[in-house]
Amino acid sequence: MINDKHSQKIVDYIQNWSRKHSIWVLAYGTGCGAIEIPPTMTSRYDAERLGVRGAATPRQADVLLITGYLTVKTLKRVIRVYEQMQDPKYVIGFGSCTINGGMYYDSYNTINVLDKYLPVDVYINGCMPRPEAVLSGFAQLQKRIAEGRADGAAQYKENLEWYRANQKRIIPNWVMPEYNW
Amino acid sequence: MKELKENIIQRIKASFADAKERNDFSDNRVDFHVKKETIPSILFYLKEEMGFIHLSHISCVDWLEEGEFELVFIVWSPVDKVKVFVRTRVDRENPVMDNIDMIWRQANTYEREFREMFGIQFTGLVAPDEFILEDWQGPPPFRRDFDTAEYAEKTFWNRPGREDAQDVRETISGRDGEEIPDFAKKYSR
Ligand code: SF4
Repeated sequence: MINDKHSQKIVDYIQNWSRKHSIWVLAYGTGCGAIEIPPTMTSRYDAERLGVRGAATPRQADVLLITGYLTVKTLKRVIRVYEQMQDPKYVIGFGSCTINGGMYYDSYNTINVLDKYLPVDVYINGCMPRPEAVLSGFAQLQKRIAEGRADGAAQYKENLEWYRANQKRIIPNWVMPEYNW
Repeated sequence: MKELKENIIQRIKASFADAKERNDFSDNRVDFHVKKETIPSILFYLKEEMGFIHLSHISCVDWLEEGEFELVFIVWSPVDKVKVFVRTRVDRENPVMDNIDMIWRQANTYEREFREMFGIQFTGLVAPDEFILEDWQGPPPFRRDFDTAEYAEKTFWNRPGREDAQDVRETISGRDGEEIPDFAKKYSR
């Protein structure tokens, strides 16, 4: 579209700047961590001053917050939701459960490592993370967006086969639609 | 209250020869063990004749060492304010049980759960195969011989570094010179 390297740089800068200030989070809670979202969003911590606010549907949202452990059953829905989201889209893994299984590491039906199934841009650790930690996670995401490093969605597209293989390993009856993004 | 309890025990014993009473010190609780064939008739009798119209709970206990599952049916009478526990044992190798959802429809949900979580088959149970677990591939997960940690490690990768966390308590106690008794070491992870 724009061949000139310098103009491209300026366009990218403006694009990332505007993206970073309107992070809309899909209102979709899994696990226990979702209970930290209301205090983060409401007046005490007021995440909206960073441009973080809720979105009603996957198509309107920019960020998918995985707020805790995921059972295989939920993972299926989460993958579907993620694939319906439109670019730009980011994933934040929230809580120890998404990082290494947390205290459910030996549970028979919850996944342990989220980034095997979805591309995670930022992890927030803690069980569960307090709103300050959540805000710092969002700040981190903003930084990464500004630097153009939050490219999870691009990686997902590129390595779709690898992700699909991992997903299908625990979801044997794959009855999901293929999205042609 | 005492007489009421005695009265209930006598009535059940008179009607069901194989009902063995178990000691229960609470005044509003009666505890029986019966053969598994008796379950539908004793529950029907309790509901229709004695006013125990409410099925509070069905629970299942895995007695691995004895090779049996124990099913506990808890019924409640709102008039007498008495609870009756009816217990029975089912063979673990071939767990087959009578379906009681024609007595209480809500039993259907419990039975589906036991079928999925313990692998107990209920004769004549009409319900979809899957209950809570979707696409489950392993053995029934609530059985005690099912090793969840091993299954989780095999199915969902463990992130390296997790092992470190196992002796947190030992590390801390080593630093502070705290003594951990032997029995507690087992739980110190
Ligand atoms: S990390 Fe802790 S708070 Fe979060 S889902 Fe896991 S157990 Fe719950």
